[in-house]
Amino acid sequence: MSIEAINEQLLRAIGVGVALVDLSDLSFSFRNDTFNEWFGDPDPTARLTELFPDLDSQTLQSEMLDDGRMTTEASFKLRRRTMTVALEFSRAQNAHENIAVLVCQNITRIKELESMIDSYSMMVERNTHEIKREKEQVEKLLLNMMPRAAYEEYKTFGVVAPRLFDPVSVLALDFIQFDAQLTQHEPGVIVSELNDIYSAFDRIGAQFACQRIRTNGDSYVAVSGVPDPNQDHAMAVANSGVRFLRYLARRNDSHPIKWVARIGVASGSVIGSVVGIQNYIYDVFGPTVGAALHHRSLADEMTMATDATFAEIVAEKFGALPSDDGTHVLMRDLAENA
Amino acid sequence: MEKSLFDKYGGFSTVSKIVLTLYDRLLEDDDVGPFFDDVDLSRLIDHQTKFVSSLMGGPASFTDDHIERAHRGMQIEDHQFDRLKEIVAEVLTDFEVDAPDIETIVGAFEARREILIEKPNVN
Repeated sequence: MSIEAINEQLLRAIGVGVALVDLSDLSFSFRNDTFNEWFGDPDPTARLTELFPDLDSQTLQSEMLDDGRMTTEASFKLRRRTMTVALEFSRAQNAHENIAVLVCQNITRIKELESMIDSYSMMVERNTHEIKREKEQVEKLLLNMMPRAAYEEYKTFGVVAPRLFDPVSVLALDFIQFDAQLTQHEPGVIVSELNDIYSAFDRIGAQFACQRIRTNGDSYVAVSGVPDPNQDHAMAVANSGVRFLRYLARRNDSHPIKWVARIGVASGSVIGSVVGIQNYIYDVFGPTVGAALHHRSLADEMTMATDATFAEIVAEKFGALPSDDGTHVLMRDLAENA
Repeated sequence: MEKSLFDKYGGFSTVSKIVLTLYDRLLEDDDVGPFFDDVDLSRLIDHQTKFVSSLMGGPASFTDDHIERAHRGMQIEDHQFDRLKEIVAEVLTDFEVDAPDIETIVGAFEARREILIEKPNVN
């Protein structure tokens, strides 16, 4: 067997499509079996551009003259499958032969995998986006239930260790005649009103470094100095309390439902921790919270009550009016009256 | 939390092989294959990746609405749908998916029979 015959047999046997293209008329002088499997039985009149309609023959000719090489891709249907092949043209080295060797690598599987990876990565991206959004929602909910520092601790360690915070100030507010309001209005109306009012309190508190800890019906409890220490904790709650009352007074002027509140404030120490395993609630407790609740119960309509110690701390800005029985003092904002 | 079939059988690395094998078999099959004659490759692969991942509890939400839209006007008949189920079961068996899990996945196909097969007599 001649060398040429062995070469031809080898070319026929390999898994890539091989053809020799006559560059003068783009006809085929040789096609191996794989090439024929893909593009049909050899037809002596077939031209390269008939098999690859998207191939630009002028570009091919000029590339063959310049570099003697060109690579491109082509897709075609083989039965139902869309096949994609990588085409590589190399001009024959022999100068007096105007022919190019065309090697076709089957890259169909690669293309299919690319499509699949595209599709999958889009799904994963969308999923990641959804998970991120859900995580943000959970974070938002948890931040409603606990201060950020407690949340960070919870996220890192899975628990929030109880801590003693000292000194801090606590504000407790409730509404007079709350039960009567409940019977006079639809539950939806009450919830919407409380949502409105508590949101305003939260905004006011945030301005003075006073953070809401919990609401329980008409009971609104906020604290300053937890978890981040605040030297001006007493001023923070006193300022917040005065503005809560002012906000309500202004709101009552223009709203059909009138809310009458009373506030108790106190300074001292509290314990802060997440309470509960199934239902996480960050709470503060201790004698100072009890004191604030006690003063609240003694406060008159739309006033803030405290004890002599607290009144002393904030005396520069808030005037104090001792009660008749000496158990508490009512505070008023001197700046407002000035 | 119970592991999804997607995770149980090796995630995307296995699902991708299942999808490519399923794709090969569906195209070769003379009952089901003709439905894919004019379907664009990337669309078909995309569809199958999402569908198989979703049936196996993977990261895809593939609603019945999507499926209905993708197959609208295709005039699939019951015997072709049955053949599809057979091919799916064969492929999953080749990938050594446990029999009860194959039943679950094929059952999920069966649950969509109504939305895939047009009923000319309805309405």
